[in-house]
Amino acid sequence: MSVYMQGVVALMGVNILMALSVYAILSTDQVSLGNAGFMAIGAYTSAYLTVKTGLAIFPAIVIGALVAGVMGLLVGIPVLRLSGLYIVMATFAFGEVVRTFFLNFEPTGGAYGFRGPIGTTLPLIYGWVLACILFFGLLSHSRLGRSLAAVRDDPEVASSIGLNVKLLKLGAFWLGAFIAGAAGGLYAHYMFYIESNSFHILVSTMAILYVILGGMYTFWGAVVGAIIFSILPETLRFMQDWRLSLYGAVLVLMLIFRPSGIITPLMVRRVEGLLAGIFRKAGA
Amino acid sequence: MFLQQLVNGLTLGSTYSLIAIGFTLVLGLLQMLNIAHGDVFMFGAFLGLTFATLGVPLPLAFFLAMLGAGLMAILIERLCFRPLRKVHFLMPLLSTIAFGILLQNVATQIWGSEPSRYPQTTELAQYQLGPVLVSSIDIIIIAISLGLMVAIDLFVMKTSFGRAMRATSEKPQTASLQGVDTNRVIIFTFFSSGALAGVAGVLTALVYSQITPFIGIRQGLIGMVAMVIGGIGNLRGAMIGGLLIGIIEIMNDAYFTASYRDIILFGLFFIFIVFRPQGLFGTKQREA
Repeated sequence: MSVYMQGVVALMGVNILMALSVYAILSTDQVSLGNAGFMAIGAYTSAYLTVKTGLAIFPAIVIGALVAGVMGLLVGIPVLRLSGLYIVMATFAFGEVVRTFFLNFEPTGGAYGFRGPIGTTLPLIYGWVLACILFFGLLSHSRLGRSLAAVRDDPEVASSIGLNVKLLKLGAFWLGAFIAGAAGGLYAHYMFYIESNSFHILVSTMAILYVILGGMYTFWGAVVGAIIFSILPETLRFMQDWRLSLYGAVLVLMLIFRPSGIITPLMVRRVEGLLAGIFRKAGA
Repeated sequence: MFLQQLVNGLTLGSTYSLIAIGFTLVLGLLQMLNIAHGDVFMFGAFLGLTFATLGVPLPLAFFLAMLGAGLMAILIERLCFRPLRKVHFLMPLLSTIAFGILLQNVATQIWGSEPSRYPQTTELAQYQLGPVLVSSIDIIIIAISLGLMVAIDLFVMKTSFGRAMRATSEKPQTASLQGVDTNRVIIFTFFSSGALAGVAGVLTALVYSQITPFIGIRQGLIGMVAMVIGGIGNLRGAMIGGLLIGIIEIMNDAYFTASYRDIILFGLFFIFIVFRPQGLFGTKQREA
C-alpha cells in the first residue's frame, strides 16, 4: 500500500470512530456538535502522556479516552436537561471553548501546536474500529440497546415503562465522548503533530454528516457513511479547486433527496435475514 | 480611554447586532438555525467590494450588496429549508453547514483566498468629541445599523405584515388558517435576514478594509452568541446582545488579553444556553 493510500485508510478509520461517537449520542436522539472537543481532549491528553511521561501508546490512548469521557459527564449533566437545538448550540459552544483553550494553553504548545506523539499503526486503529463495531452489534440486540431505542423513539413512553431516561441519555453521551477521545488519541499518534485547529468545528460537523448521510437509525449507517465520505473527497481530486464546492453540493443534494440516509434499519434486517438464510442452508 | 473603548465597542457591536437579528428572525420563525448566515455576511462584503471596485458609488454599492445577500438567503431557504421541513431538525442545520462550505469555496474561486483590499471610498475624517476620537466610518456604521434596527423593529411591531410574521412564528398553522400566506412570510424573513447580514458585511469590511472568504465563520458564531444572550426570537434582545458582545470584546482586548477573547465569549455562550436559555430579557422558555 502506498503511503498516500495508508494515510487515506488511517484517517478513514479515525472518521469511522468519530461517526460512531456521534451515533452513540444520536441513539438517544441527542445531537452533539462538540465531538471535536472530546476528540481534542483525548488527543492532547494521550499525546502529553506519551511524549512527556513516556507512557506506552495504548494505555495513553485509553486514559485520554477516559478523561474525555469524564468531560462528557461534566458537560452532559447540565446540557442534557435542554432540548433539541439548545443542546446543539451548547455542545457547539463547548467544542469552541476546548479549541480556543488548547490554542492558548502553553504546556501543550499553545498556538505552535504539540509535536512528537508517534506510534499509531493501521492495525491499532482498526482494532479500535472492530471493537466498537462488535460492541454496537451486541448492543443493538441487547436489552440495553432496545432501551436506548425506546428513549430515542419516545422518551415519555420509555420513562413510563420504568426506564431511567436521564441515565440512559447520559450514558450514551459518555460513550460518545469516550469514543471521540479514543479517536483523538489515535489521530494524534498518527499525525505526529496536533494543533488546536485540527479539532475545528468542521470535524464535529463532518462526523454528524457521516452518520446522517449513512443512515442515523443503525450504527452500520455511521460506518458506511464514514467510509464513503472519507473516500469521496479523494476521488474528487480531479476537480482540483472546485473539489470542495462539488462536495458541498453532493451533501446538499443527498440531504434533499435521501434524508433518511443510505443505510436504513430495514436494509440491515434484510441483510441479516439473508445472511441467516445462507448460514442455515450451509448448515443443512 | 474608557469612553473611547466604549465607542469602539459600540461600533463593532452594532455590526454583530445586525447579524444576530438575522439569526433570531429565522430561528424565531422556523425554530431552525441557519449556519450559513455568517457566509451570507461574507458574500455581502464581497459583493460590496466588487461593486465599489467597479466604480459604483458607495450608497448604491451598499444597496446592491444588500439585495444580493438577501437573494442569497432566499436561495438558502429554497435549497436547505423548504425541501427539509418535515424531517429531523438536524437536516436543515447540516444542509446549511454544507451550503456555507460551498459558498466559502465559490468565493475563494471568484475572489481568491488572499485578503482582498477594500477601496478607499469614504473620506476618513476624525472628530474630537471631548475625550473621544470618532471617525467618519464609526459614525456611518452606528447610524446605518441603528437606523436599520429601528426600521426592522417598527416593521415587525407596527405593520400588518409584521403582525403576520409574529403570528407565523407563534403558531404557523393558526396563522395560515387566519389567511396569512406563511410561505411569503418565510421568504420575506429570509430576505431581510440576508440583507441585514449583507449590510453588516459591507460595514465590517469598511472598518477592517480587507476581507477573506472565511470571515463569515467567526462572525456567524458571534452573531449566534449575541442572539442567545438577547433571548432567541427576541429582536430587541438580539440588538442589545450584539452591542454587549462588541463592548465585552473591545474591553477584554483593552484591559485583559486578546488571546482569551474567544474563550470568554464562547464560555458566556455555554453558560447562557445551559443556565439561562431564555436569554437576558426572556420570560418564558420556548421549546426548540
